Amino acid sequence: MEAIRVEGLTKDFTYYTKEVGVLNSLKNLVYRKTLTKHAVRDISFSIGQGEMVAFLGPNGAGKTTTLKMLSGILHPTGGHLSVLGYKPYERKKEFKKRFAIVMGQKSQLWADLPAAESILLNRYIYQVEEQAYRRTLDELVELLDVSHVLNVQVRRLSLGERMKMELIAALIHKPELLFLDEPTIGLDVVTQKRVREFLAYYNEHHRTTIILTSHYMKDIQDLCQRALIINDGRLVYDGSLNQVNGASAGSKIVKLKFADYVDPDGLGAFGTVRQSDGYQATLEIAKGQINAISRELLELFPVEDITIEEKPIEEVIVSLYDRKIPV
Amino acid sequence: MKAWHGTMKSYLQIYLRFIKNCFIAQMEYRTNFILGIAVEIAYLFSKLLYVVVVYETDLHIGDITPDGILMFVGTYTMMTGLYAGLFFTNFVRISDYVRTGELDLLMVKPVSLQFIVSLRYIDLGMPIPNLAAGITMVAIGWHALGIPVTFYHIAIFVFYLLSALLITYGLMIIPSILSFWFVNTGGLAGIFYAIWDANNMPMPIYSRLIQRIGVYVLPFLVITNFAPMTVMGRLDGGLMVWGVLAPVLLLAAVRQMWKQAIKNYSSASG
Repeated sequence: MEAIRVEGLTKDFTYYTKEVGVLNSLKNLVYRKTLTKHAVRDISFSIGQGEMVAFLGPNGAGKTTTLKMLSGILHPTGGHLSVLGYKPYERKKEFKKRFAIVMGQKSQLWADLPAAESILLNRYIYQVEEQAYRRTLDELVELLDVSHVLNVQVRRLSLGERMKMELIAALIHKPELLFLDEPTIGLDVVTQKRVREFLAYYNEHHRTTIILTSHYMKDIQDLCQRALIINDGRLVYDGSLNQVNGASAGSKIVKLKFADYVDPDGLGAFGTVRQSDGYQATLEIAKGQINAISRELLELFPVEDITIEEKPIEEVIVSLYDRKIPV
Repeated sequence: MKAWHGTMKSYLQIYLRFIKNCFIAQMEYRTNFILGIAVEIAYLFSKLLYVVVVYETDLHIGDITPDGILMFVGTYTMMTGLYAGLFFTNFVRISDYVRTGELDLLMVKPVSLQFIVSLRYIDLGMPIPNLAAGITMVAIGWHALGIPVTFYHIAIFVFYLLSALLITYGLMIIPSILSFWFVNTGGLAGIFYAIWDANNMPMPIYSRLIQRIGVYVLPFLVITNFAPMTVMGRLDGGLMVWGVLAPVLLLAAVRQMWKQAIKNYSSASG
């Protein structure tokens, strides 16, 4: 059964620019040149019930705007959309009771109160029966292992604990559909993993449809089989995550910082040198060789610092373009 | 009817949670809570100087005696307390919700957005001095004027105070609603605060034209004048009806304005 169907969805925003300076501010007072940004252009897709789908794309690609249209926060400029059988922009109460949204950069919890109070408030807002509320709360608190901080003021919680509380507050009414907008942003690696494990478990046990936006590839690899990639407002890829992984799987980015000058020419033998000024260098190295080459680099050069990163999503998208994978 | 009753009940439950939450949060910052009351008391004293001047100079406005004026100033003080406690904190936040996109998370809640945005925060400290002083002034004026303390008189006074409360909500939220279009409406809010303060004297002090505008166009003058005027027997039948109609019409207009504003909401990035 379909949870979401989107056809030809578009969203335009109008805005204006202002040149630097006082004179331009005065000009701006009487005349503003209005410009239009096409944030989402003619996107179509459908998502089945219980699916867990990743929305990928660089910053400003249109992921969040699409999510906001799916949740009824924004009115679309054009196209058709149906979410759980409702038109989200009509913002019907029955519809709102059936989904939840968690935004990594925004909080629905009141910082001065213990999270338990905000969660209880949601019980009244969503009209959850006392017994069901108790059952769900106990389950979520146990799964996320936060019983010891439930009664601590939110502003005293770590970012990871706060995000877990956000998830509990969002799931207390057992939504059928969950939108997650950058839920792991700013979290440490261990907490990211914990949150991912929780989402995977929740999706499997409750058959909740989950739409996850992220610009971290790693975020969704463990969770989603399917990815929708949005770039510049357009849907550039809709399909298996394996292919996306394939496009990013070939190599990793190794960043090096040296204590002394290192001749950039000497680094070419270890991988593709993307950038080097003698004291810092960025190399692209095949994934299979990462361990061996890292060890060699550490032995042969005065390495002060080394970081290994995934390829940026922007590059993965370019690779997908190059492969001409059909949408 | 049953559904409406159920909805009212659940909104009341939510509102009680709001009050409880606000109480807990404000108790977290005891110093701020006490300082807030202290500042309000100081502000109140500056306003009470008006009363001193009224009595010292034996000021009469038309045929309203200083005791009568005290009833108006008392009503104004009470209403200021109620406005500060129930609405002010919420209304000043609305433009921030729009600017930062915080409205997004409130918008997806299955309750009226206007309700949650405009009534979420209740300041429990600030209104105390104003309410206490206002009630005292009204009581003194009431007694001095020899107005009978009957159920009818008290009920009609409270009724027009409620009408005033609804008008306060409807008028003072307007600058905040306009922030959906203009984002920052601090200038307009400043004008509204100034008009509010012009309300601390009985309306006969103003010209007929200003009274007409203040009663029928932007009904600021209804807020502090109608309640004392009814018990003083100065409100004619037409104005009594207007005191009932004005809040209904104003709230209906504000509701329409709110709906348009929400349609216009474009969220913020991120």
